[in-house]
Amino acid sequence: MNESENMTREVAAPVRDNAEVEAALNRRYEAGFVTDIESTSLPPGLSEDVVRQLSAIKQEPEWMTEWRLAAYRHWLTMQEPDWAKLEIAPIDYQSVSYYSAPKAGLKSLDEVDPKLLETYEKLGVPLHERAKLAGVAVDAVFDSVSVGTTFRKELAEAGVIFCSMSEAIREHGDLVRQYLGSVVPTGDNYFAALNSAVFSDGSFVFIPKGVRCPMELSTYFRINAMNTGQFERTLIVVEDDAYVSYLEGCTAPMRDENQLHAAVVELVALERAQIKYSTVQNWYPGDENGVGGIYNFVTKRGDCRGADSKISWTQVETGSAITWKYPSCVLRGDRSVGEFYSVALTHHRQQADTGTKMIHIGKGTKSKIVAKGISAGRGQNSYRGLVKIEKGADGARNYTQCDSLLIGKKCGAHTFPYMEVKNPTAIVEHEATTSKISDDQLFYCLSRGIGEEDAVSMIVDGFCKQVFRELPMEFAVEAKKLLEVSLEGAVG
Amino acid sequence: MTEVQASRTPFVQAVLDAEGAEASEGTGIVWLDTARRENLDAFLATGLPEGRSEAWKYTPLRALAQRAFAPADADAARAANVDAAVFALPGVTGPRIVLVDGVFRADLSVLDTLPSGLRVEPLSVALTLAPEPLRFALAARHRRDAADAFLHLNAALARDGVVVNVAEGCTIESPVHVVYVATQNDVAWHARALVEVGQGGHLNVVEHHVAIGDANALGTVVSDFVLRDDAVLELVLIQDASAAATLVRRSHARVGARAAATVHAVELGGALVRHELTAELVGEGARFDSRGVFALKARQHIDTQMDVRHQARDTTSDALWRGVADGRSRGVFRGAIVVAEGADGSDAALSNKNLLLSAQAEIDTKPELEIYADEVKAAHGATIGQLDERSMFYLRSRGIPQVQARSLLTLAFCRAALGSLPNEALREHLGALLVAHLPTGPAEA
Repeated sequence: MNESENMTREVAAPVRDNAEVEAALNRRYEAGFVTDIESTSLPPGLSEDVVRQLSAIKQEPEWMTEWRLAAYRHWLTMQEPDWAKLEIAPIDYQSVSYYSAPKAGLKSLDEVDPKLLETYEKLGVPLHERAKLAGVAVDAVFDSVSVGTTFRKELAEAGVIFCSMSEAIREHGDLVRQYLGSVVPTGDNYFAALNSAVFSDGSFVFIPKGVRCPMELSTYFRINAMNTGQFERTLIVVEDDAYVSYLEGCTAPMRDENQLHAAVVELVALERAQIKYSTVQNWYPGDENGVGGIYNFVTKRGDCRGADSKISWTQVETGSAITWKYPSCVLRGDRSVGEFYSVALTHHRQQADTGTKMIHIGKGTKSKIVAKGISAGRGQNSYRGLVKIEKGADGARNYTQCDSLLIGKKCGAHTFPYMEVKNPTAIVEHEATTSKISDDQLFYCLSRGIGEEDAVSMIVDGFCKQVFRELPMEFAVEAKKLLEVSLEGAVG
Repeated sequence: MTEVQASRTPFVQAVLDAEGAEASEGTGIVWLDTARRENLDAFLATGLPEGRSEAWKYTPLRALAQRAFAPADADAARAANVDAAVFALPGVTGPRIVLVDGVFRADLSVLDTLPSGLRVEPLSVALTLAPEPLRFALAARHRRDAADAFLHLNAALARDGVVVNVAEGCTIESPVHVVYVATQNDVAWHARALVEVGQGGHLNVVEHHVAIGDANALGTVVSDFVLRDDAVLELVLIQDASAAATLVRRSHARVGARAAATVHAVELGGALVRHELTAELVGEGARFDSRGVFALKARQHIDTQMDVRHQARDTTSDALWRGVADGRSRGVFRGAIVVAEGADGSDAALSNKNLLLSAQAEIDTKPELEIYADEVKAAHGATIGQLDERSMFYLRSRGIPQVQARSLLTLAFCRAALGSLPNEALREHLGALLVAHLPTGPAEA
C-alpha cells in the first residue's frame, strides 16, 4: 500500500467506536509509516510519460498501463463538455500535478482558520478528524489501512473483498480487468477519460453470490495538497442475490485556488443484486466571493445487468464550487429498478448542474427520481436529468419529481429534464415546481418563538425529508447538520 | 467576398449558387441591403446546425443538408393556379393576405375593405412606400450561431411577407387570415411577417400554412408580433402543409405592460417541421398563454420549441401542449420558462402531455425552468404514455368498437388544447381536421 498519495484516502468500515479508532491510529503512527514522499511526486503536467510513470509507481501490470494510455490518447481527442449551465474558468490541465506528495502544511490546529474549526465543531467531527479535515499535516491521516484491516477479517469471512483500487489491481487483477471500464468506458466523456488515464486510487468492492454484506461500507475522500487534482476510481461489483450499502463522504481543506476532482464510480449489479450508494459531498465550496473551491466533475453510473436487480443512488451535495455530476442507472436486466434521491444546495457563488440518467432497456424496468434543489446567496442550481425508454423496454415506468427552493433574490434554480420515449407501452411522468420559503411558514415559526435561522433550517429540512429518509442514519444526521451550516447567513 | 467556412453541403452550395442572381437586384435601401448581406454571410459561415447543437439535438438535419433547394420561381408563383378553397376556413371571413411560394398574390388576397385602424399589406409594398418604420425589425442583428441558421437565411433571402398594424385603441373584430401556400417542388421560399398591435388595440390573426399538391419545398417564415401596453392578440397557427414539406418557422411575441397574447397552434402536416415560438414579457402584468397540439403519423417529424421569458414584475404565462405520435413519426417538444432577476410576482405554468401510439414512433420532450427571482410561482409537468385503459374499457363496455373508442379518446386528448379557442366555428373545424388526421387503425401493440 503506498501511503504517499496526494489525496488522503480512508477506506474504512464504519467507525463504531472512537477508542478503537484512536488505538488503530496510534498504532499506525507509532509504526512511523511516512514513506519517501519526495521521491514519488511527479511535476505538474500531463503526458504519456506521466501516465506511464504513475502506473510504474503504483506497480501496475502491463494491461493496466496500456488501459491508461489508451484512455489518455482518447482524452487528447476530446473536448470539454459545454452543455451544462455552468460558468467554469478555464482549466489548465498541464498545471495540475497528477501524482504528488502532500506538501508540509500547517503544523497544528492553532494555525487553522477559526471559521473552519467552528464549522467542524458544529458538525461534531472528532478532534483528530478535525485536524485532518483542516489540512494539517498530521500523520494520522494515513490511518486508512489499519482501520480498514480491523474489519477486513470480518469481511473476508463473508467473502467480501473491500480494498483500495491499487491493491485490487495487484491482488484481484482478473476481477478488476473483467469489470473496470465496463460501465463507464474509458472514452465515455471528457472527465471520465481523464480519470481513466490518471486515477490514483479508489475503492474496490466485490460481494460474491448470495452474500448480504454484514456491514455498511464507507470511504472518506479528501483532497489535501495544493495544486493537485484528485482522480479516484470506485468499482463495486455485486453478484447474484447479493446486497451492499455503501457510503461515501468527501471533504477538502480551504484553498484559494480551484482544485479539480474528477472521479469515476462504476457499479455492477447482477441477477437480483442490490446496491445502495449514498454520498454526502462536502468539498470546500470556495468563500463568499467564489474564490477557491473544488471543481467536482464526477461520472457515476450503475449497471443493472441482471434481471430484478436494483441500484439506488442517494446524494446530498452541499460542497464544491462547481458540481457536474449525474449518477445514472442503466436498467438492462428485465424488471430492474433504478432510484435517485438528491438534495443539492448552492450558496454564495456555488454552481451545481446535477441530476441523473435512467436508461430503460429491459422489460418492466422502473425508475424513480426525487431531486430537491436549494439555492441561496448567488448560487445557481440546475437539475438536469434524462429518462430514456428504449424500444424493447415494454411496460417501463418512470416517475420524476424535481422541486426547487429559492432563498434570496440573486440565486437561480433551473430544471432541464430530457424525456426520450421509443416504446408505446411505457409511462413517463415528470413534475417540477419552484418556490421560495413562504412568508406564512416563516411567520408561523417566528410567532412561536423560533429564531429566523432555525425556522429556515426547519423548513429546509422538511423540504428535504423525502431524500434524507433514504440515507443511512448517521449520514442523515450529518446531512441535516451540513445543510444548516451551509445555509448560515442565507437569510436576514 | 463572402467568407465560406461551413462545409459545402449541397444545401449551402445551393444558397451560394443562387447568390449571384439575388445580389444583382438590390432594393436601393442601403440598410436593408447591408442587413441581407450580413445575414447571408452569417449563414454561409455557420451552415446548418449539426448534431452537437443542443438546440437541434432531437431534429437532425443531415438529410436536409444533402438537399439542394433552388430559389422559388417568382413568376411561376404569380401564375400558379390556386383554388381559394384550399385555405377556406369557417369562422374566418375577414381580411386575407395570401403568399404563394413566398410571393404576394393580390388576386387571392382580400385587402380592399379593411376596417379603420387596421393596415394589412405585403412587405414588398410596405418597403417601397415607407421602409423606415420596418428598419428596426429588418436590420436587427442576430448572434452568429449555426443554431440560428434559418433566421439568417430568412433575413437574407425573404423578399416578401406580411405587415399588419393595428392603431392605438382599435379593436379589430374579424380575424386577419394570413395564408402561406406552397406549390413548387425542390425550391426554397422565405417570408417575413411583422405584426404590431398599438396600445390598447385588439387583433385576431390566423396564420395558415397549406400546399397545392405534394410540394416538397423548404419554407421559412419569421414572424414578429409586437404588443404595445394593454394590447390584446389572439393568434391561431394552423400548419397543414403537404406531407413532403419542410417548414421552419420562428414566431416571436414581445408583450408590453398589461398586454395579453394567446396562441393556439395546430400542427398537422409536413415531413420536417420546426416551430420556434418565443415570448418576451417585457411589461408589468404582461400575459402569454399558449395552447398547442401536434398529431403525427407516417414518417413525420415535428419539433416545437417554446421559450417564454418573464422579464417584468407580475407577469403570467400558461402553456398547455398535447402531442400524439403514430407510425414511424417523431414528435419533439421543448418548453422553456425563464424568469429573469427582478421579475418578482411571476406566475408560470407549463403542461405537456403526449400519447405514443406506435412502437416505431418516438417522443422527446424537455420542459425547462430557469428561475432567477424568488417571489415566483413556477411549475411544469410532462408525461408520455398511452390511452387510459379504464376509459377504453368504459367505452368498449358500452358497445363502442375498439377503433372508434381509440379515435374518440385520442381526439378528446388533443382537444384539450383547443377548448379555449373562442372562435367556435374555427374550433369545430380544427377538431374535424384533427379527426381526419388522427390514426384510426387498431393499436399496433
